[in-house]
Amino acid sequence: MDVTLAQAALPREISLSEFLFSAELWTRDDGILDTLVDTAVLCGAVVLAATLVAVPLAAYLAHHGRGEIAVTWMVTLSRAVPTLAVAALLVPVSLRIGLGFEPWPIFIALLLLALPQIYINTYAAIRGADRGVVGAARGMGLTESAVLWRVEAALAGAVIMTSIRVAAVQVIATEPLRAFLGGDGLGRYVRDGLGQNSPSQIVGGTILIGLFAASTALAFRGAERLALPRGVTRLSSNAT
Amino acid sequence: MEESYTTAIRLHGVTKQFDGASAPAVDALDLEVPAGSIVALIGPSGCGKTTTLRMINRLIEPTSGRIEINGVDALEQPAVELRRDIGYVIQQVGLFPHRTIAQNIATVPRTLGWDNDRIRERTAGLVELVGLDHAMLDRYPDELSGGQQQRVGVARALAADPPVLLMDEPFGAVDPIVRGSLQNELMDLQQQVHKTIVLVTHDIDEALKLADRIALMNVGGVLEQFASPDELLRDPANEFVERFVGEDRVMKRLQLATVADLPFHQGPVVAASATPVEAREVMRASGSAWVGLTDRGAFLGWVHGPDVHDDGPLTDAPRSLPAAQVGRDSTLRRAMEIIMTSRTSVAVVDDGGRFGGVITLEQIRAGLDQGPEVIAA
Repeated sequence: MDVTLAQAALPREISLSEFLFSAELWTRDDGILDTLVDTAVLCGAVVLAATLVAVPLAAYLAHHGRGEIAVTWMVTLSRAVPTLAVAALLVPVSLRIGLGFEPWPIFIALLLLALPQIYINTYAAIRGADRGVVGAARGMGLTESAVLWRVEAALAGAVIMTSIRVAAVQVIATEPLRAFLGGDGLGRYVRDGLGQNSPSQIVGGTILIGLFAASTALAFRGAERLALPRGVTRLSSNAT
Repeated sequence: MEESYTTAIRLHGVTKQFDGASAPAVDALDLEVPAGSIVALIGPSGCGKTTTLRMINRLIEPTSGRIEINGVDALEQPAVELRRDIGYVIQQVGLFPHRTIAQNIATVPRTLGWDNDRIRERTAGLVELVGLDHAMLDRYPDELSGGQQQRVGVARALAADPPVLLMDEPFGAVDPIVRGSLQNELMDLQQQVHKTIVLVTHDIDEALKLADRIALMNVGGVLEQFASPDELLRDPANEFVERFVGEDRVMKRLQLATVADLPFHQGPVVAASATPVEAREVMRASGSAWVGLTDRGAFLGWVHGPDVHDDGPLTDAPRSLPAAQVGRDSTLRRAMEIIMTSRTSVAVVDDGGRFGGVITLEQIRAGLDQGPEVIAA
């Protein structure tokens, strides 16, 4: 009994390979796999919400040439928003209105990270669509919504998709802050490792976060190739 | 040019005042574009020629005035529907880079809801009409040369067979050689499709070459003269027009008219079967030292007067001098060059292998004096 308590209080240091390749650590309840899914759901929700808000809004305003000043401000401000501070400040608010420690504070903080990024790039890409092409489209009698969605959005498609991908990677790389604000997610291993003075967990957790971010980027690239029509994808491959 | 025509596009007191501009871009412009003709809008920068063009398909809304297209008030119609009946070609071509050539050409037919078979048939026909290869249909615009892209632009504008075509400096972005051939192709095309075309250009030579009538505009959207190319050159309305068309007005007029525009002129020419007496009579009457021989419509050559002898047929006389020849479609300027370098001071008109009369400097000058009745632009 004493021995078990001591072991629980001071777990023995495990090696990095043990941490990464132990089937038990992955599959047990609340193990790495569950944590990964948990992280993926939160990040997915953030990126989806950011995309659904930012892309249509930015596209619409850019098409009509409105809100250019808002974009300028957003470019400046989005660089200055400290995600950790925002999330930390939101925790007491969330507690007061009865939403608990998480996940709303980190969700909103990550949304503030992803949304401006996608918004700014979508806006710029739609505004930057070749004026000659757009003028020809309008001159041929395409409706305004056809000009926006079939021409401008198609020309901007690759840039918009890239901005979503970059935002997703940033969200995944920033999400571990959640573990330091009373939540879980992949950051928990870094947090626990720091607390338990266990370099294997710190490094292992960091590797997991990095791999997850990298494979997300790859998955996005694959999805871009599948989702965008050939005419649009070959535009971006010609450009690079 | 025929005097009675139906008007396809009528601008009446059309004015455009842009927000914040002190003077209107186009000021109370009246313009009538005859059906089936090419009208060129030309003038210096800021003359409102492009603004005028873009008001016809309402990419720019006029501040005041009326625009009628084939009898219908263009400003009463929904702009989107109006534009589907008006082909639009621009300098940057504006092909959709993410769509194939076939898809680009099919843009308006698709919008109009044509079925696939009809679209395919139409697309194939148009590609031929503008002189492109069928293999290009599945390519993307960036795989084509500038000239080919511009042809696709014209095909796309013609896709739904609109009666009116607006062209905004359509050949401004291609090199001079391609430009020349595209201009020729446009004229050939117009022979087949008979569209009402309004064309904006800054190149007076292009306007003179392509247009049936030229609207020369001045800064502020003021119409200085609206006339046929020959009239503009022969009789400029004021000093501005005179300066704009340039100093070589006579040469440009000669460039506009062809040999076919001059009346048939027999010249000192007789049939090979004529007697030597008849030949001398023709030479005396025309003051020429040479006589030409024709045989069943073909020109055989020139015979020098002293070589004509009474004792034998005319065909026995030596015909050493090669005949200077021009085609019926040669410009008068080309004919003049040939006459200047010919020892007989006469060029023989070659009418598809047959003798088509002769042409002299005197005739060309008479043509210039008489104006468009003889020299039809």
